[in-house]
Amino acid sequence: MSATSRYLSLDTWAVLLSLGLALLVRFGVLKIVPW
Amino acid sequence: MSASNAIPIPESGSQTASTSRLTGWLGLVPGLLLLAIVGYAGKFIEQSITRYGKSHHLVLPNIEYVLWAILIGLIIANTTGVPAIFRRGVATYEFWLKTGIVLLGSRFILGDIARLGGISLALVFIEIALALTFMTYLGRAFKLSPKLVSLLSVGSSVCGVSAIIATQGAIEADEEDSSYAIAAILALGAISLFVFPVVGHALHLSDHAYGVWTGLAVDNTAETAAAGALYSDTAGKVAVLTKTCRNALIGFVVLGYAIYWASKGQAAGVQSKGAFLWQKFPRFVLGFLVISLLATVGFFSKPQLLAVGNLSRWAFLLTFAGVGLRTSFRDLSKQGVRPFLVGAIGEVVIALLTLGLVFGADKVFHL
Repeated sequence: MSATSRYLSLDTWAVLLSLGLALLVRFGVLKIVPW
Repeated sequence: MSASNAIPIPESGSQTASTSRLTGWLGLVPGLLLLAIVGYAGKFIEQSITRYGKSHHLVLPNIEYVLWAILIGLIIANTTGVPAIFRRGVATYEFWLKTGIVLLGSRFILGDIARLGGISLALVFIEIALALTFMTYLGRAFKLSPKLVSLLSVGSSVCGVSAIIATQGAIEADEEDSSYAIAAILALGAISLFVFPVVGHALHLSDHAYGVWTGLAVDNTAETAAAGALYSDTAGKVAVLTKTCRNALIGFVVLGYAIYWASKGQAAGVQSKGAFLWQKFPRFVLGFLVISLLATVGFFSKPQLLAVGNLSRWAFLLTFAGVGLRTSFRDLSKQGVRPFLVGAIGEVVIALLTLGLVFGADKVFHL
């Protein structure tokens, strides 16, 4: 495996975290997010 | 994407490697806490002023938490400085910016994106063409090095620092040229944070018109989001959408410069244009569209949409704290005078041109 393929870009990490958080909200794990 | 922007994926390995990786992740914690404290302090100040005004029946100006968070960050960065232990965590503000943008997709249905994004995209094409042409002539008139002119042109027409970093690699520009261009773009971004809202209010721009203008004219995405949010929540949302259209075109502009410099024999040729475009395409734009698509097809209930929107606001809160904390006037003043002058003149002209475009678009399309 090359050195670069072991890394995900900052953008990809941001997308993965966002989708993860959105799914947590969708399936009721994160019920209320106050602001 | 630069190597410094990459986060290593945790993987199995020796215990020493795991420990050093853990230390690496733990090293982010102090800075992350600082971002959270500075951002929350801004929110606390905004809420305290509003509460004080209400309880004393006073009409106080509503200053958004964004400004307080940036000001606190600026004070820390330019007095005591940000101690080394916090720096790695503070640098994650760009990650929170992108997370905030992806989650912001929940506050747009695809129809809005198609309409507003379509108008924005048309304006972005005009803005990029005008900005690239003007900056190129201006840079030549000031006798800057040709590659520095390319970097400044890309930085001020497309998307600030990321565009400069992407172009630097593609056209094999000097580190020194790229740090001049980045410093100029960051310094001008810091100034626009304070100037744009004042001009917007003076001209009584609507939230949408101001958002589109900010998205077209402010270069670095973090500063665009902040300058928009300083005006209003809606303006912030629209500014980010317009800026995302600009960001989506980064690959095409960088490709153009890469081909130009390769034709002069001063950079490596581009083998596969499709692969080059995909490599430079910002992935968070796709994430933004996916979340918006999910919101449009009813994947989330209304309370869930509100919750996802609030997660986006928290991510932006960390970003705005980072904008202040990473702006050191001492470092910015070390840049060359001529690149800064070219950047400053260019930014003023681009701001005026885009303001004209926005007025025109507002008349025709009722932004």
